[in-house]
Amino acid sequence: MSLLTVEKVTSGYGDMEVLHDVSIEVKPQEIVTIIGPNGAGKSTLMKTIFGLLKPILGQIQFADHEITSLSPDRIVRLGMAYVPQVENVFPSLTVRENLEMGAFIRNDDFSDRISEMFELFPVLGRRGRQQVGKMSGGERQMVAMARALMLNPQLILLDEPSAALAPNLAEVIFERITAVNETGVAILIVEQNAKQSLSLSDRGYVLAGGRNRFAETGENLLANEEIGQLYLGG
Amino acid sequence: MEHFVGTINYIIFFAVTAGTYGILALGLNIQWGNTGLFNIGIAGFYALGAYTSALICGLPPSAWEGRTFGGFQLPFIFGLLGAAIVCGVVALLIGAPTLRLRADYLAIATIGIAETIRLVLNNESWLTNGVWGFQQIPSPLYKTIHGATSTYLHAHPNLPIWLHDLITKSYDWFYLALVLVVLFILYLIMERLVRSPWGRVIRAIREDEDATAMLGKNTFSYKMQALVLGAMIMGIGGSMYAHYARFISPVSFKPLYGTFIIWVMLILGGSGNNKGAILGSFTVWGIWAGTDFLTKYLPFSATQSASLRVILIAVLLEVILLWRPQGLLPPKKHLFTLK
Amino acid sequence: MTTLAHIPQLLVYGVISGSIISLGGIGVSLTYSILGFSNFAHGDFMALGAYIALGLFTLFTGLGIPSAPFGPLSFGFGFILAFILAIGLTALAVIIIDRLLFRQLRRSGPIILMMSSIGVALGLRNILQFFWSPQPHYYSQAIQPAVSVTALNIRIKPDQVFIILVAIVLVVLVHAFMRYTKMGKAMRAMADNATLAQVTGINTDRVIIWTWAIGAGLAATAGILAGIENKFITPELGWQMLLSIFAGVVLGGIGNPYGAILGGMVIGISEEVSTAFISTGYKPAVAFVIMIIMLLVKPTGLLGRKD
Repeated sequence: MSLLTVEKVTSGYGDMEVLHDVSIEVKPQEIVTIIGPNGAGKSTLMKTIFGLLKPILGQIQFADHEITSLSPDRIVRLGMAYVPQVENVFPSLTVRENLEMGAFIRNDDFSDRISEMFELFPVLGRRGRQQVGKMSGGERQMVAMARALMLNPQLILLDEPSAALAPNLAEVIFERITAVNETGVAILIVEQNAKQSLSLSDRGYVLAGGRNRFAETGENLLANEEIGQLYLGG
Repeated sequence: MEHFVGTINYIIFFAVTAGTYGILALGLNIQWGNTGLFNIGIAGFYALGAYTSALICGLPPSAWEGRTFGGFQLPFIFGLLGAAIVCGVVALLIGAPTLRLRADYLAIATIGIAETIRLVLNNESWLTNGVWGFQQIPSPLYKTIHGATSTYLHAHPNLPIWLHDLITKSYDWFYLALVLVVLFILYLIMERLVRSPWGRVIRAIREDEDATAMLGKNTFSYKMQALVLGAMIMGIGGSMYAHYARFISPVSFKPLYGTFIIWVMLILGGSGNNKGAILGSFTVWGIWAGTDFLTKYLPFSATQSASLRVILIAVLLEVILLWRPQGLLPPKKHLFTLK
Repeated sequence: MTTLAHIPQLLVYGVISGSIISLGGIGVSLTYSILGFSNFAHGDFMALGAYIALGLFTLFTGLGIPSAPFGPLSFGFGFILAFILAIGLTALAVIIIDRLLFRQLRRSGPIILMMSSIGVALGLRNILQFFWSPQPHYYSQAIQPAVSVTALNIRIKPDQVFIILVAIVLVVLVHAFMRYTKMGKAMRAMADNATLAQVTGINTDRVIIWTWAIGAGLAATAGILAGIENKFITPELGWQMLLSIFAGVVLGGIGNPYGAILGGMVIGISEEVSTAFISTGYKPAVAFVIMIIMLLVKPTGLLGRKD
């Protein structure tokens, strides 16, 4: 049984095809990492899954629903969330307001969920009233993840969560990602330099030139010499 | 036969006006159609061109005028060039603070300059004669052609009436030819420019300014050149209008006639296509003039009819934007590379 | 030195006209930041509001709804009722215009939307002209005596105090809405990043409707207040103020509603004080010159963020 199935998807911007025939799968409560060099189409894949780009060919299913070319706000309602690589927070809003926006479609009281997020990300709990635009890169990444988790999604897409972060901060983020996963949320990560990400993943895919190259368990990918040389910096 | 003469008069008036609008639309096409510059102060440049030309070529102030300046009685060509130069300079001043910013700023600034020019025309009587405007602006070669016509008609007293009437109108025929020649020359220049390397750069700016800048092009400078060139052409349009109408005042350059209708002309004809600009001018002016006849049959007052016609033009614009944004003649797909 | 003695009085006029310009500017600023385009029809939304109020007021007077003036003000219950209903009806009309036009054109980009707004501007203005003629119409022809405040060397009419108070109350309400309500926060979120708002699950279409409703409601208010202050309205009322409004918005920092309030006030005061030194006819040009200077010095405006 799988949570997300991407089947032979071809997608891109306008006339320009970036992805060709890409297939991936995420099972419930898994962590899956997609690695690949810059320009391999990783972000394009994320955007296509989340309805920001319309696939030219292929199909996408999520939690027993056909979501190919559904709009992002519909996909959110089905229990998927997305954290873009950049500009993934509302900078002029406070931390708490960012989380409230994450729960926009809920009309009931969601203060419990905010408390849970503050427990999961204690750094944020102390700074609920701070404007996010004035926070550091690592803190913003946590705000973005917390925002995406507000609706108790079954799956969350993370686009290069450690990009542009110092190594020690990246470690903190990955540690939090594991913690999030332990609450039962499946996670699909794309990463460029992905040793860290792969080491905590159940499975991994390699995307290069817009195509699937390898699909393996995270450990096997890390152990594979060819992949190590090509995509993980030796 | 009177009906016939009336029709001829109307056709000449129609074609001269449409031709003048064609000149203005060519100016807008270089700014908007090719470079993507949003100028909604065309009326300002149009008025500036007309007034400059009137000051250069017109008569010195008479005793009853509030004006105390200008009227240098120079030949028409100086008025035409002066109009172009003054408009170019004003465009330079407007472009300097705005062309590095988002398109909205240029748009707001062009409304501002048009409004400021209108206020100056109304308030600076020493220069513009205020709300009364300029009278008796000389038309080029008027005396020569009029004199020759009179002589000819005297020498041939037995012409059929219709021919006599056509010949009486000789000056208007001449002016129509003049407008069309100016329009055609400008069209040829624009076509050459658009196809030149310079034209490729400005179109690239319209498509993607950041990418063009990354290729090492000084986009600010190119945008400025296009803005100034377009404004100069608009100034020429103003000059052509002044010497035909022979009377100008601030009300001749309201934003409706001066700006809005020219935008609709270009968008209908096809932004980015010079033939489209001219086609749009004649088409929209045709619709405008045609509705003038039609609304006479409706039970509304003259002002109501005028409003109705503007509403129609506004609806026409929205319809084009919704259903045929590329206009009647879309710009040709240019395959180009930037070096 | 007589001109200098007039300055306190001119400041009062400046605050009144600044209040009206600011109310107009908030809407322009919201549309710019949330929908991403400069709406050149905003002035005509003001005129639309002013004429809807006139129409309703005439109707109410005909129906015998009491309209005896409140205390020292020049208008009474019937007019206030017309005022409030006109705000709602203008908002409704603008939302309909959005559904018919702007919504369809959103994919075409900001410049096409700007162009379309110019068409809407001329269309609306001429619809008003068609029904009410270009001639001025009056809310009230009564002459209202001004009250002298000797200590400050100024004179002010009760209606003018009303205008300033309405503006203050509305600015506070807008602030509270943006700060404390879910929809207000969503509007700020969408102004920050419209794509992220969509990805987050914010119903962006509803945010857009609220943006128009608030912008158009404030525009109608500004139009009606301008009618109260000038004593008459014409279909060109809003168009004539548009340059001042945009100058205020740019001065304060385009896309920032607080900047629009500050900028509108500065423009209003500058325009009025300038009349001590130059011809009254140049008021809009004063606004324009201030705007150009701001663009040269700091294009992001007084309160603007860097892009």
